[in-house]
Amino acid sequence: AEDLVGSLANSCLSSSSLQSFRRFGNTLTEHFHQLQPWHKTLKIIGAEFGTSVLSYFIFLKWLLNFNIFSFLINFGFITIPQFLAAEPNNLSFTGLELLTGAGYFQQTVLYYGSYTNATISKVENSASYNMQLAYIFTVGTYFVICFLILLFSMARLFSRNFVNPQARSVNASKLLCTWDFNITNEKAVKLQQKNLLTQIKEGLTELNKEVQNFSVMERVVRFATHLIAWVASLAAAVAACAGVYFLSINNLKVRPEFAFFHTVVVLPSLPPGMDQLLVQLLFLLLFRNIILKISIVGILCYYWLNIVATSESQCWETLVGQDIYRLVLVDFIFCLLGSFFGEFLRRIIGTTVCVSLGLPEFDIGRNVLDLIYAQTLTWIGILFSPLLPGIQMIAFLIVFFVKKVSLMRNCQPPCKVWRTAQMMTSFIFLLFCPSFLGVLSVIGVTVWRLKPSEECGPFRGLPSMYAAVAEWIQMLESYTAWKWVVWIYHNLISSELFFFIISTFVLVVTYLYWQIIQARRTMTKLLHNQIINAGKDKKFLLQKLQKVQRSKRSSSALGGRGQQVSLTAQLLLFNCLVQVHGVLQLCKQPAGLGKGCASNFI
Amino acid sequence: RLKNPLLFEQEQLFLPVWQICRFCWLFLLVCRLHGRYHEMAPNVVPMDYTKDPDVKLPMQLIINMPELKENPFKERIVESFSEDGEGSLSFNDFVDMFSVLSEMAPRELKAIYAFKIYDFNTDNFICKADLEKTLNKLTREELTAEEITLVCEKVIEEADMDGDGKLGFADFENMISKAPDFLRYYFKKNRVSCILAGMF
Repeated sequence: AEDLVGSLANSCLSSSSLQSFRRFGNTLTEHFHQLQPWHKTLKIIGAEFGTSVLSYFIFLKWLLNFNIFSFLINFGFITIPQFLAAEPNNLSFTGLELLTGAGYFQQTVLYYGSYTNATISKVENSASYNMQLAYIFTVGTYFVICFLILLFSMARLFSRNFVNPQARSVNASKLLCTWDFNITNEKAVKLQQKNLLTQIKEGLTELNKEVQNFSVMERVVRFATHLIAWVASLAAAVAACAGVYFLSINNLKVRPEFAFFHTVVVLPSLPPGMDQLLVQLLFLLLFRNIILKISIVGILCYYWLNIVATSESQCWETLVGQDIYRLVLVDFIFCLLGSFFGEFLRRIIGTTVCVSLGLPEFDIGRNVLDLIYAQTLTWIGILFSPLLPGIQMIAFLIVFFVKKVSLMRNCQPPCKVWRTAQMMTSFIFLLFCPSFLGVLSVIGVTVWRLKPSEECGPFRGLPSMYAAVAEWIQMLESYTAWKWVVWIYHNLISSELFFFIISTFVLVVTYLYWQIIQARRTMTKLLHNQIINAGKDKKFLLQKLQKVQRSKRSSSALGGRGQQVSLTAQLLLFNCLVQVHGVLQLCKQPAGLGKGCASNFI
Repeated sequence: RLKNPLLFEQEQLFLPVWQICRFCWLFLLVCRLHGRYHEMAPNVVPMDYTKDPDVKLPMQLIINMPELKENPFKERIVESFSEDGEGSLSFNDFVDMFSVLSEMAPRELKAIYAFKIYDFNTDNFICKADLEKTLNKLTREELTAEEITLVCEKVIEEADMDGDGKLGFADFENMISKAPDFLRYYFKKNRVSCILAGMF
């Protein structure tokens, strides 16, 4: 070991600073990965169930980080100052508040309504803390940071996973690139081999079939089934939304979750004989699920912003906050119940009563959509209930452990090979596009358009929440040291001309980049064809050379050296010509010109 | 001869703090690896390397390690890292193997070794025979002969770019670049290889 250590020491002793700094960064990231919580758990899950199931848990951990960050900044910047200026809570605590969120909790720091609008200062004439500005800036900064993180993650994943959308050699990559070397469990390895075998056999049967000639009858049946399924799910979505709306209007405390429970039952029941289209249908199922959840959240937001906010209730923000708290809680309970029924009971049924069913698989799509839905609710609720991310954080932690235990005990590794990278990209895209952007628009409407309630909250009495910022800017105008802030506000943030110019600029840049991408794509195709043609030329030349060598051997006695020299010279010259021709091809349309030219010259 | 990615080769003289930390961490890793190497054959592997002993463990011992035992390509993995091509690994080869299989190795290095693993007859090309052997290992020899031939022909047709009937390293790399899951499956970048995690 001394020799090895010595050589290690020698190499470690010598380094140039830039490279060593980079390696220091690499080392830090490696150490950071190993020190992260649940590192060993995730490794075990990946080894036993494969990378696709692992990606669900990594996504859950990633979402947990958002909530931890939000909870910390909300608690630090909003709640702790509120503790200094708190009023006494004269409601009594019964256990029911944990479920309903109302009652005792109504006047705690959990909800918007209990935050003061005063400027807090502990000591006379010391620096004061403006609660209004703190509230709006904390929430605003958090959303800006989330936006940037989501944008960069999505861009990075897109660039990595959708580089060559048209070039997908299905068989080659299936053979050489899909074997998951991380799996070390014997049963999992056997299962992976069986799955690969099934897929290859399916691929072969597709190859053997010339054209999928369905008869007219079969095509009609397929079309009809698709149509019925779509109509049914859309009708269920509309019915669920209408139900939610009318129930909320009538103020019955039946939770909206019940409304779409029956649709979840309706959706998975597919007509038989659709196994060929199963993978596409899986995406369709997820898509319908997404539509349903988006429409329900949309209806709820419409109800909250249009009806609750303009009603005469005392503190509408707190009411909305309570609604969201209850939704988050019920979603959490249903997630646990889903795990219980979908995995535990299904395993019991699959092993004792109806053995042909076998063990259940971990339903990645449905679980990820549940996570996205929960996170959407949390994001909407941050403005109305600043400590909601803390509650969601605890919920996610419990969900992680429950799902992990349920996975290990009840499930088997997945049958279908999920295209993990593309699935993860789509999930983060779903998180960004309908979910986060929808939340931003809801928050935008709340901050800019809605009138805060008169008697509670940090923005009481103002015409809108944003008016706090406008007032602050007005106050700043009297200080010369902060004139630049006022200038930025008037000319950049609240000026429409500036946004118009920026939008035009961004559109122009986007268009230019799009054209560059088109050009690069054409270039790639040309280069690809050039490689193919160069290969054909090489083969042709090799054949020619072999022929020449054979004739050289047979006519060596005849002393035909002069003839061969000229032939070899011809070949060399021709080779140069082919290279030049190949370069010229880059400017012309690709075609098999090389081979044709080769045969023409000789 | 593999340049061990754990070591790096630059020329300077000062020793900053982070170098010391990295050196300590690497040292611990190598000691841990040596512990695993030693426990496979305690009578053969020495603890003292000052006399530069020439000790090699045969392939049979190494492919029984729990991390490799279930892998259908275990013999090929061990063979591609052994100097004599027979599968017996000295300790240096052993460290090389685990450093390439861990997340510390760069993508190009992993691609090189993936190519070597699939190249059964070590002629620096993945020819049809290599693909047939790979297919047999991946599917536990449950395909018929003409199915195997069909799949291998399809693979070569799709991935062979220069038309020589077999896959060179350039073809292989091109195919990998279109499969974004490849690195994730081939000893995913963010996860410590199983042996080394035992230490933490």
